[in-house]
Amino acid sequence: MDLTLTEDQIAILDAVESLAKPYASAPVHDAGFALVSDDLDRELAEGGFLDIAFDPDLGSVSAALVVERLAHLPYAIEAAVSALVRPLFGAELPRPLCLVEPGRSTRPLRFLKAGATVIVVGADSVSSFIATAEQVRAEETLFGYPMGSLLVDPATVATVTHDVSRDAVKTRWRVAIAAEAAGLLAAALDSTATYVTDRQQFGRPLATFQALRHRLSEAQVRANGVYWLAMNAAATLDAGDAALAALHAQESARATVYDFHQFLGAMGMTLEHPLHLWTYRLKALTSELGGRGGQALAAADAVWGRG
Amino acid sequence: MNFEWTSEEAAFRQRLRDFLAATLPEDWERFSQHGPASPALTDYARGFCGKLADEGLLTPHWPKEIGGGGLDPWHQTILAEEMWIAGEPRGGQYMNVNWIGPTLIRYGSPEQQARYLPPIAEGRALWCQGFSEPGAGSDLASLRTRAVLEGDEYHVTGQKIWTSYAGLADTCFLVCRTSDDRKKGISILLVPMDTPGITVRQIPSLIGEGDIHEVFFDDVVVPATARLGEEGEAWSIIAFSLTNERLGIPRYALAEAALDRAVSILQEQDEFGGEAVRIEAAHALALCRASRMASYAIVSRRCRGEAIGPESASARFATVMAERRVAEFIVEYLPEALADAHPYLKMHHQRGIVAGIAAGAAEIQLNIIATDVLKLPREPR
Repeated sequence: MDLTLTEDQIAILDAVESLAKPYASAPVHDAGFALVSDDLDRELAEGGFLDIAFDPDLGSVSAALVVERLAHLPYAIEAAVSALVRPLFGAELPRPLCLVEPGRSTRPLRFLKAGATVIVVGADSVSSFIATAEQVRAEETLFGYPMGSLLVDPATVATVTHDVSRDAVKTRWRVAIAAEAAGLLAAALDSTATYVTDRQQFGRPLATFQALRHRLSEAQVRANGVYWLAMNAAATLDAGDAALAALHAQESARATVYDFHQFLGAMGMTLEHPLHLWTYRLKALTSELGGRGGQALAAADAVWGRG
Repeated sequence: MNFEWTSEEAAFRQRLRDFLAATLPEDWERFSQHGPASPALTDYARGFCGKLADEGLLTPHWPKEIGGGGLDPWHQTILAEEMWIAGEPRGGQYMNVNWIGPTLIRYGSPEQQARYLPPIAEGRALWCQGFSEPGAGSDLASLRTRAVLEGDEYHVTGQKIWTSYAGLADTCFLVCRTSDDRKKGISILLVPMDTPGITVRQIPSLIGEGDIHEVFFDDVVVPATARLGEEGEAWSIIAFSLTNERLGIPRYALAEAALDRAVSILQEQDEFGGEAVRIEAAHALALCRASRMASYAIVSRRCRGEAIGPESASARFATVMAERRVAEFIVEYLPEALADAHPYLKMHHQRGIVAGIAAGAAEIQLNIIATDVLKLPREPR
C-alpha cells in the first residue's frame, strides 16, 4: 500500500498541467451553460492522454488521475469514458463516446452528436453504433455538458456487438463518474473558497464566518473521499469498489452543490461566474446509472450479495 | 499509487488475527462491552498485553534501539485496526504504545525513560492524560491547573475532567500551567497517580463503566525531575505527540466490521432484501471506505518521512461521518443491538459516541481544514 504518486504519474500530471494551462480560466461571457473547446480535445487526443490506460505499465489509476485533473478545467471534455471505459473496446472507436442504458435512452446524453460512438449497455449484450445526423438532436440543457438526444431506439440501430461484459462496462463507467466528479468537486470547492475569501461583507471576508467555513470544510472532506475512492476503484476495477466510489461521488455532489452556489450569494445565480461550469456538470453525473439509489444497490449486491 | 498490501503486510495482519483468535477468551465479545477503561478490561489487558509483548506485537513500531520492532507506520496501522476491530483488548494501553511511549523516547530524560518505558513495553503500565479541564476543552491553552516550582519540587493544584483511564492509571501525563504566558506557560509533568493530594471521581458515561473521570490536584508535590522536557515546552511536545496520534483510532475499521456484522444478522433474519435497507447500508459502507482511504493517504506520507499535514484533520472528520452513519444504520435496523442481543454491535455503539469528541473535537478538525487545507482567512478572535 502506497498512495503517493509514482514518478510516471507525476510526469504525466505535469504534462497535463502544461497542456491545460491555456484553458484554466473561463471566458464566461461567451460560455453559456457549457464550455467546449475542439482545440483542447484535439491536443489531448493527439498527445495520447486519453490512451494511458491502454498501456499496462501505466494502467487505469494513471488514466483516472488525468480524468480528475482535466475535470478541474472549466471546459467539458469527453475524457472520462474515453480514458477509462474505451480500453475494454479498443482504441479504434471514434470519439466522443456516449454510454447509454436501453431503458434510459430517451434522456439527453452527454457529448451526443453526429459522429459520436453510442455504446448501448444492454441487459444481455453490449453493442454500439456511430450516430448519424438524423439520429440525434442537439439539446439546450442547463447542464454543463454539450448534450444531445437520440431520436431512435438504440437497441434497434446498434450494429456492432462487442465481446465485453455489461458488468465490466458498468464498473468502468462508475470509475469514470467518480474520477470526473472528484475533479469537479475539487474545482467547485476551490472556486467557492476563492470567492468567499475575496468577497467582503460586514467589514470582513465571508470566509471568516464559521457558518460557511465548516460547511466548506465538510465539502473538502467529501471531495477528498471521492478522490480516494475513485483512485482505489480505478486500481482494483472491482464492481463493489466502483459502485461505492460512484455512490460517494453522487451523494457528495448532492450534499455540496447547493452550498457552493449559496455561498456565492446572488453571484451564484449568474452566468458571470464560472461556478456552474463545474456544479452543473456534477448535477449531470448525479443522474447517471440510476443515481444514488442505483449505485447503492449495485454496491450492496457486489459487497453483500443479492437479497 | 499502489492499493495492494505487500505479502509481508498481509502476513502481519494474518499473524495478528491468528494471535487474537488463539488468545481472546470465548466470551470475549460479551466481555468487551466493559468499557476500555473498566476494571475488568484493564485487568484483562495486563495479561493480554504481556502476551503481545512476548510475541513482539506490543511495540513493533518502536525503534529497534529501545526494544521495538522498527516496523513502519503501515504496520502500526494494521496493528491498530486489528486491535480496534477486536474490541481493543489492550484497553487503555493502546495509548501508551501509540504516543506516550514515542513521546517519552523523544523528550524523556534517561531516568524517565528507564523508569517508564520498560513497563509500557512489557504491557504493565496504564497512563491517563490530564488534558481537559472544566474551563479548557477544545481551548486547551486556557488550562488553569497550576504547578509552582518551590526549590526542586512542583506543587500542583487544580482540576482535570473527562480524563480517560484515571481511575486505574498508575501515571498521569499532566499538562499544567507554570507561567501566565498562554501557550509558552504550559509544561508537562509525569505524575504518579498514588501521589498524596490526588482525588479521582468517576463520571458515569455512555461509553462503559470506568471510562471518564474528574481528577483533583490539591497541593500535589512532585519532584522537578518529573517534568518532561523544558518548562513551557508542552505545546511543542504535544504537537510531536499528535504526529503519532493525529489520525487517532482507526474507527473506520470497527465501523465497517460492525456494519458487516449487522448486515449478516439481517441476512440471517431475512431482513436484508428490501431496497431501503440495502441503500442505507451502502451509504454507510461508502463513508467507511472513504475514511479508510483518507487515512491511508496520510499513512503513506508518514511512511515517506513527510509531515502528516493538516489533511489528517480531514481524515479524522471522515471517520466521524463513517462512525455516525454506521451507528445510525444499526439503530434503525437492529435496535435490539442496543439491548443485549448483539454484544459486538453494542460495544461499537458505546464506543462510537467518542469519535467526534475525544482527541480534538470534530469542529476543531473543521477549523483546521478551513484554515490550513482550504487556506481561508482566519476567523476574528
